[in-house]
Amino acid sequence: MSDEQKISQRYRELSREEPPPRLDDAILAASRRAVQTRPAPLVVPSGRLRWYFPLAAAAVIVLAVAVTIHVERQRSDLEVAEAPASPPPPAREAQDNLYVPDPKPAPAPAPARPPASDAGELGAKRDAERLADLQKSQQAPAAPPAAAPPPAASAPAPAQDAVSGMRESRRADEAAPQARMEARSAMRQQATIGAASAFAAASPEQWLQGIDDLKRQGRHDEAERELAEFRKRYPDYRIPEAILEKFEKR
Amino acid sequence: MEAPDEELMLAYGQGDAGAFETLYKRHRGPLYRFMVRALKHRSAAEELFQEVWIRVIESRSRYAPQARFTTWLYTIAHNLLVDHWRKKGLSLASLDAEDVAVESANPARRAEGREALARLLQAIEALPPAQREAFLLHEESGLTVAEIAAATGTNEEAAKSRLRYAMAKLKAVVDE
Repeated sequence: MSDEQKISQRYRELSREEPPPRLDDAILAASRRAVQTRPAPLVVPSGRLRWYFPLAAAAVIVLAVAVTIHVERQRSDLEVAEAPASPPPPAREAQDNLYVPDPKPAPAPAPARPPASDAGELGAKRDAERLADLQKSQQAPAAPPAAAPPPAASAPAPAQDAVSGMRESRRADEAAPQARMEARSAMRQQATIGAASAFAAASPEQWLQGIDDLKRQGRHDEAERELAEFRKRYPDYRIPEAILEKFEKR
Repeated sequence: MEAPDEELMLAYGQGDAGAFETLYKRHRGPLYRFMVRALKHRSAAEELFQEVWIRVIESRSRYAPQARFTTWLYTIAHNLLVDHWRKKGLSLASLDAEDVAVESANPARRAEGREALARLLQAIEALPPAQREAFLLHEESGLTVAEIAAATGTNEEAAKSRLRYAMAKLKAVVDE
């Protein structure tokens, strides 16, 4: 028996450790989930259901057109309602031809401002009122943006989601491996969406060159992130040792 | 006759979850032992073991059999190991270094019971990471020198030399 065979034989006498069942379950569950989540057609148009898609498409188009017309009408109504407030006299004539339901009489044109010498307390008060009115009128259209903060606040949501995802995954790390696998794959999906690599479309060699450039520029964190992305995209790519060593030296 | 690994992986890429299960059952033990013995901490080994399979799952649609599935699988494992070592501050050069401290106080290792085997296990742990990896790839996954070279991204000479050094050191322990 050769030395190598002898070593192999002794090695085989060592305990044959196997992965714990919890790991098996987690990995197999992940493998099943991955192929189950393949996007499937919503409805398979066959037989008597062939009319379904054209009808649904027509309904969507009709609805879209109706909504657009409705919105357009509302917008023009709003413009017309706002029109009296606009001062230019020549336009006034044209506006008079339009039917504008006006619940209260249009405010009488402000009397000519008294000369500066007469502009006492009353004038100041009137100015203040106008300013208040102006502010109110500015606030009114500004209301939607004011109500908009939800979308604005939701802008950083992906980041928040990522953080909460990471927290969840950390908690999950302490829990079952299956939960860990789920959290990790969710995190990875978020990361894929959020942090698309600038080099993702490049060839592996170009990508590695890009990482090398980042290292050379001292952008080590970015380079490490890119390398991690690279590994995910090309898990079996053998980065030559010389290149890895170059990464290490920088 | 059993379906070859490559066929199973392609079938999994087309949505056959059962193919993955067969593949997993074939490789789970050797890959697990490879990770547990290549790394000294079980939790890290389990983490990387899982990560290898996650990468396999994620690569299902891109998989193209250019080599044996086993070589491909251990290439992924090797890449993850290298990244793990780099994160721990080990440079590639130090993976071949001689002076690797042995954590002999590992109770699981001492519980091996039989003295000679415990010594062998300790000697494996004492190997420089690159030699240990070459030895484990050879023993656990049955890779040839050429396949070890392919999986670890090195040339055949280097792979052969790592394996030879590892064998020489372990022989001394086995002969004791």
